[in-house]
Amino acid sequence: MPGIATMSLDNMFCTRCGDGFETNEKIVNSNGELWHTNCFVCAQCFRVFPEGIFYEFEGRKYCERDFQVLFAPCCGKCGEFIIGRVIKAMNANWHPACFRCEECNVELADAGFIKHAGRALCHACNARIKEDGLQNYMCHKCHGVIDGEPLRYRGEVYHGYHFNCATCGVELDHTAREVKHRSGYAANDVNNLFCLRCHDKMGIPICGACRRPIEERIVTALGKHWHVEHFVCAKCEKPFHGHRHYEKKGLAYCEQHYHQLFGNLCYVCNQVIAGDVFTALNKAWCVHHFACSVCDAPLSTKSKFYEYDERPACRRCYERFPQELRRRLRRAHQYTTRR
Amino acid sequence: MSHQPPVSCIPNTAKMSKAKKVIEEAREINNPEIDLVDKGISNLEEVPGLFNLANITRLSLSHNKIKTVPAALANLMNLEILNFANNHIEELPVSLSSLPKLRILNVSLNRLYSLPRGFGAFPALEILDLTYNNLNEKVLPGNFCMMESLRALYLGDNDFEYLPPEIGNLKNLQILSLRENDLIEVPRELGQLTRLRELHLQANRLVVLPPEIGTLDLASNKSVLRLEGNAWIPPIEDQINLGPSHVLDYLRSETYRVLYSRHMSAKPPPPPLAVDKNKKASRARS
Repeated sequence: MPGIATMSLDNMFCTRCGDGFETNEKIVNSNGELWHTNCFVCAQCFRVFPEGIFYEFEGRKYCERDFQVLFAPCCGKCGEFIIGRVIKAMNANWHPACFRCEECNVELADAGFIKHAGRALCHACNARIKEDGLQNYMCHKCHGVIDGEPLRYRGEVYHGYHFNCATCGVELDHTAREVKHRSGYAANDVNNLFCLRCHDKMGIPICGACRRPIEERIVTALGKHWHVEHFVCAKCEKPFHGHRHYEKKGLAYCEQHYHQLFGNLCYVCNQVIAGDVFTALNKAWCVHHFACSVCDAPLSTKSKFYEYDERPACRRCYERFPQELRRRLRRAHQYTTRR
Repeated sequence: MSHQPPVSCIPNTAKMSKAKKVIEEAREINNPEIDLVDKGISNLEEVPGLFNLANITRLSLSHNKIKTVPAALANLMNLEILNFANNHIEELPVSLSSLPKLRILNVSLNRLYSLPRGFGAFPALEILDLTYNNLNEKVLPGNFCMMESLRALYLGDNDFEYLPPEIGNLKNLQILSLRENDLIEVPRELGQLTRLRELHLQANRLVVLPPEIGTLDLASNKSVLRLEGNAWIPPIEDQINLGPSHVLDYLRSETYRVLYSRHMSAKPPPPPLAVDKNKKASRARS
């Protein structure tokens, strides 16, 4: 681009009107384009840009106001233009401060929201409304609305008061228990409703995990009864399904996680220790793998060994260590025993 | 380069015959585990028939005077445990790294000044013991931190001042010993070693620990966290006196996070080298 000084007025024309410039006339130069001062105006309102600020869009220049009117997003709530952060949600644009939970009015921009029946709700309100909604059950017998929890029986929901306990005859509520199977009884004899008291007296075992009665296969372990699918490894929560489990501090584990958690993998062979376990220095060994870490000579349960980086070193090896190392190890040992 | 005094030849041969006897016996009963501990061996080529024992799974050569490891040792394809503890080895052949079944390699108490290029190619190595040598971060080969099968790495009594951040790739590491090195700092990436149960950092030049260490499970009754003998900032020193769980709790705290980032941006000069290591046996020159 040639400098203004080197350009002659004869070949300079206004970008808008195409006319030339007068001598001594003030010329606007914007990115190499030249304008008469009164031609350098907003493409919409034809007025001079306030404080010289303009916005460019598809080659045309607009003043701030008109640019916003034409192109800036409008807030779905207050109808004002949105400068800065725009929240796009529910098919509209919003100021962060205008996008709020339609129940409790909390700001949703950063907390996130859930769309519930066409309304934007915060997580807490959504959970509450969902719960309220669930209580609108209709009784399968009288077709009236059930306030509070329904009584579930044979896959339908009822008012509790339509039923009486099969044993004591007391009027039931939602806490009544349906018994579907019971060993030694035909299904028709037990497929019935009982009040909690009578249900307890029937001696039906309760699952140690879910606290619900167990009507099918029972697993008895750790001094409790369990649904087959609820007797699981305390680590991976997979059911044992009859596979061997390992107990530790009142919890059951599968073989893999028991050994992973309680360290009964041999330090040398890294396999699950099948026979007796030798434990020392926070590690475990197969009895026949317990050996000096320097010379690999087997150590017995009775042999004396020195600790060297939390590994065993036999006396013979320790005495062959460089003297200065032995001195340091001795000092470190004194430090740890003093504590 | 070295001159063996001729008189040493006589006891040497006597000892060599002991080694020969071990090999012959092993061959007779087909013993897969060879013990050649403290047999005065200075050259493995002199042990007759050793390289023909292709079936052996363990070779223990501790307490000898071996200076070089012949590359042909890698012909013992079934080796699972190879032990060179307390010898005079100054360098290792890269061929060892191709032993397909090697699980445990012990080169502690030697005179290693470097590791060969490509050393980290071991396909199955689980325990690597390089304690008491002359190693530092500058001589680690590029693939050292690619030994993903490694579950224990012993680097105590060496000359490390820093650790490569790639150490975070050793995902199976359960034990890491850096006792009595010259460590000035440890990388944040140590926090990625989620299976770590033993961390020995005692007697280094450490001042702070990355907050990420606080996420590791190093305070349980099966874990070991050794931190004494460093130049810790006073709040860490106080927590060390209370126990590992206190240290880890403190490292996770917001107070410490701020303190740590302030410390790292201030970059104070590291504490001076505390000990003269020239008396170490690993420094001996043949």
